[in-house]
Amino acid sequence: MSFVAVVFLVSLMSFVALQVLPGDPAQLILGTEGSHEALAALRLQLGLDKPAPVRFGQWLVNFIQGDLGESLRYNIPVKDLVVQALPITLNLAMWAVLLALATAVITGVFSAAYSNRWWGKGMRVLSQLGMAVPQFWVGILLIQLFAVKLRLLPAGGYSNWQSLILPIVTLALPRSAVLTNMVQVGLGGVLNSDYIRTAKAKGLPWATVLFKHAFINGAIGVATTAGIQLVQLLAGTIVVEQVFGLPGLGQLLLAGVLQRDLPLVQSVIVLVAVAVLLTNLIMDFVLLALDPRVRFE
Amino acid sequence: MKLRLGLAALVLLLTLAGSSSAFSAALNVAVSADPDTFDPTKTVAAATVEIAFNIYEGLVKAAPDGSLVGALATDWDVSPDQKTYTFTLRDAFFHNGAKVTAEDVVNALNRARDAEVSARWNDFALVEAVEGEGSTVVVRLSQPNAAFLYTLAEVNAAIYPKGAEGLAAKPIGTGPYKLAEWRPNQYVRLERFNEYWGEKAPYYDEVVFRIIPDEYSAVLNLLSGNVDLIPRMEASVYHQVANDSRIKVVAGPMNLVQILAINNQRPPFNDVRVRKALAMAVNREEIMFGAAWGFAQPLYSGLSPAMPAFFNGKLQEVNPYDPALARELLREAGVSNLKLTLTLPSDYPLHVQTGEIAAQQWEAIGIDVDIQLVEWGTWLEKVYAQRDYDVSIVGLAGRLDPHAILVRYTSGNSRNFFNFSSPEFDQLIEQGLVLQGSERVAVYHLAQEILAREVAGVFVMDPEQLAAMRGEIQGWEHYPIYVVDAARLYE
Repeated sequence: MSFVAVVFLVSLMSFVALQVLPGDPAQLILGTEGSHEALAALRLQLGLDKPAPVRFGQWLVNFIQGDLGESLRYNIPVKDLVVQALPITLNLAMWAVLLALATAVITGVFSAAYSNRWWGKGMRVLSQLGMAVPQFWVGILLIQLFAVKLRLLPAGGYSNWQSLILPIVTLALPRSAVLTNMVQVGLGGVLNSDYIRTAKAKGLPWATVLFKHAFINGAIGVATTAGIQLVQLLAGTIVVEQVFGLPGLGQLLLAGVLQRDLPLVQSVIVLVAVAVLLTNLIMDFVLLALDPRVRFE
Repeated sequence: MKLRLGLAALVLLLTLAGSSSAFSAALNVAVSADPDTFDPTKTVAAATVEIAFNIYEGLVKAAPDGSLVGALATDWDVSPDQKTYTFTLRDAFFHNGAKVTAEDVVNALNRARDAEVSARWNDFALVEAVEGEGSTVVVRLSQPNAAFLYTLAEVNAAIYPKGAEGLAAKPIGTGPYKLAEWRPNQYVRLERFNEYWGEKAPYYDEVVFRIIPDEYSAVLNLLSGNVDLIPRMEASVYHQVANDSRIKVVAGPMNLVQILAINNQRPPFNDVRVRKALAMAVNREEIMFGAAWGFAQPLYSGLSPAMPAFFNGKLQEVNPYDPALARELLREAGVSNLKLTLTLPSDYPLHVQTGEIAAQQWEAIGIDVDIQLVEWGTWLEKVYAQRDYDVSIVGLAGRLDPHAILVRYTSGNSRNFFNFSSPEFDQLIEQGLVLQGSERVAVYHLAQEILAREVAGVFVMDPEQLAAMRGEIQGWEHYPIYVVDAARLYE
């Protein structure tokens, strides 16, 4: 129930925001060549002559019936636009978080375990650095190296999965740094505790102690953070999409807002809201599986 | 488990990464925006024209020098009273295989002027009747109009099969290329049309317009070989390719009039001396180098030198750069402590930078300038539609005929957001429609002089169009309108 209420509120807020914003979709389509007559005709054709509440009501009724309407800017169904953009953003977000998680676990555990060695300290410095570097800059550096100099990967635009590699790495880097830090902090305390000493004394292999006994205790915090990162990315890969020229949901939303393309903006925002809510739900189950102490109220 | 799968997939991704393949005779073109629609009666976006030029044709079409050549018409006759145009049709085929008939032409032109159907019906308002039989089409006008033939070269007058539906996404034209696939926000892929009437078949089998909104991203794509051609590269990224021997850049006039628009009705700008002062304080050289990296021609007229037949090149001395005199003019007008708001469209770095430099130049003569950045949608509503501004900057896109460009400065015109008003100018523009040859040229020369003398606005520059491409590509030509003529290109 609250799920439906949240989605409704989100759609209402985005509609109001777009109404408050100055600018008119018909005017934007016609640009500086538009005459009064052409503007009036186009507004009629796009249905902009109807009052705002009526348009919102129409959109809502259609949306509930699964009809996302037609984009004002592209003259094609919003559904077609979303179907093309959604997989790109989903893949970006999912693989970026998985990659971040994978690298964080490895570097985090080792730098915590060998915190006195020079390379353990080095890894900590690197993870601090990774958190501090702006993403668009990392993206541009990666493009310069892998696309322009080495010509191994596309510089941008979307042709196939190869186009996603550099953006995924770009997105994963700062997130991996954050997660690495969490693994280090979590493990740092645990490694000096009694049960670890017991496990070592039992003669268990060091790797088993590290990953099975020590790491799993810090895993909940890491998983929670990774979940939050995933949610953030579903709604916020826009900067990286821009740098790499990827036609994902972020770019679609940006284009929609700039053109005041109401059906497009509404649908994308509501779909992202639904995706975020679903991801949160899934994360709750993951946490439940990781820690038996967690209980649903 | 999930984690291990992820790692395995990543390793796989990285190992496969090197093996990308490319088409041998495909041309990848970077453009910044999607078409709006491929329906000729509905399209209004420049981004569509750029691509649609390869797909659709009208009875006539533009040549690189701005003149008109026959497209679906082989030749045409104009009656002595200039009201009847008789076209002889070419033997040509549509992309669906059907032959082009007079009936198709009549249908398309009648729909183009139908207010119920067409977004640009107003352009064809003078057409009284269109009739066709066999290979002849006759168009009758209600009054003579020297600009009419140019209207027929616009994409809105393109010819498509009678009864064709769904042109918005599946265009059927007669051009050298036909649409193969359009993925909004990604690319528009064209294939060569083998039944094209032209004598020489286009070189490229396939032309892919890739939608890359970011100029930096476009350049990186060119450098890495993903893209072969950027028809409109931003001057701000020129240094990225300047020293790369694999890339060549062809510069030419864009036929864009960058104007410092002044609200002619709002005091104190309704005093021509104040407008003149603004004009004389502007140092174009400084702006061209500061905002356009030197890739521009200074403008003193409302027409660009890209239209040599009508351009008035003798207007530099009307309001030359003279800050001392500008100061004097302000004093004469009794305006002290002038404060103005300069509204700039933030989506266009060229105009924003121009504005920042102009503001400094105005401040040097004692004007207090308040810069206000607005996003394009807001600009269109506030400055263009409501005319609620002091001074602003925008680029006015070129057309093929001077009338289409200059008519916006006439008193009642709804595109006249400068609120410029000069009865003498209005009269000249009306005369321009019925005159021919050198008489017509003289009228437009005078009209341009009035715009400069009365300072409708300060014309700043025509930025150069920089077409950046792989060194092997030959045949690029700049057009005075927004097109990429892919059929001319070869290697």
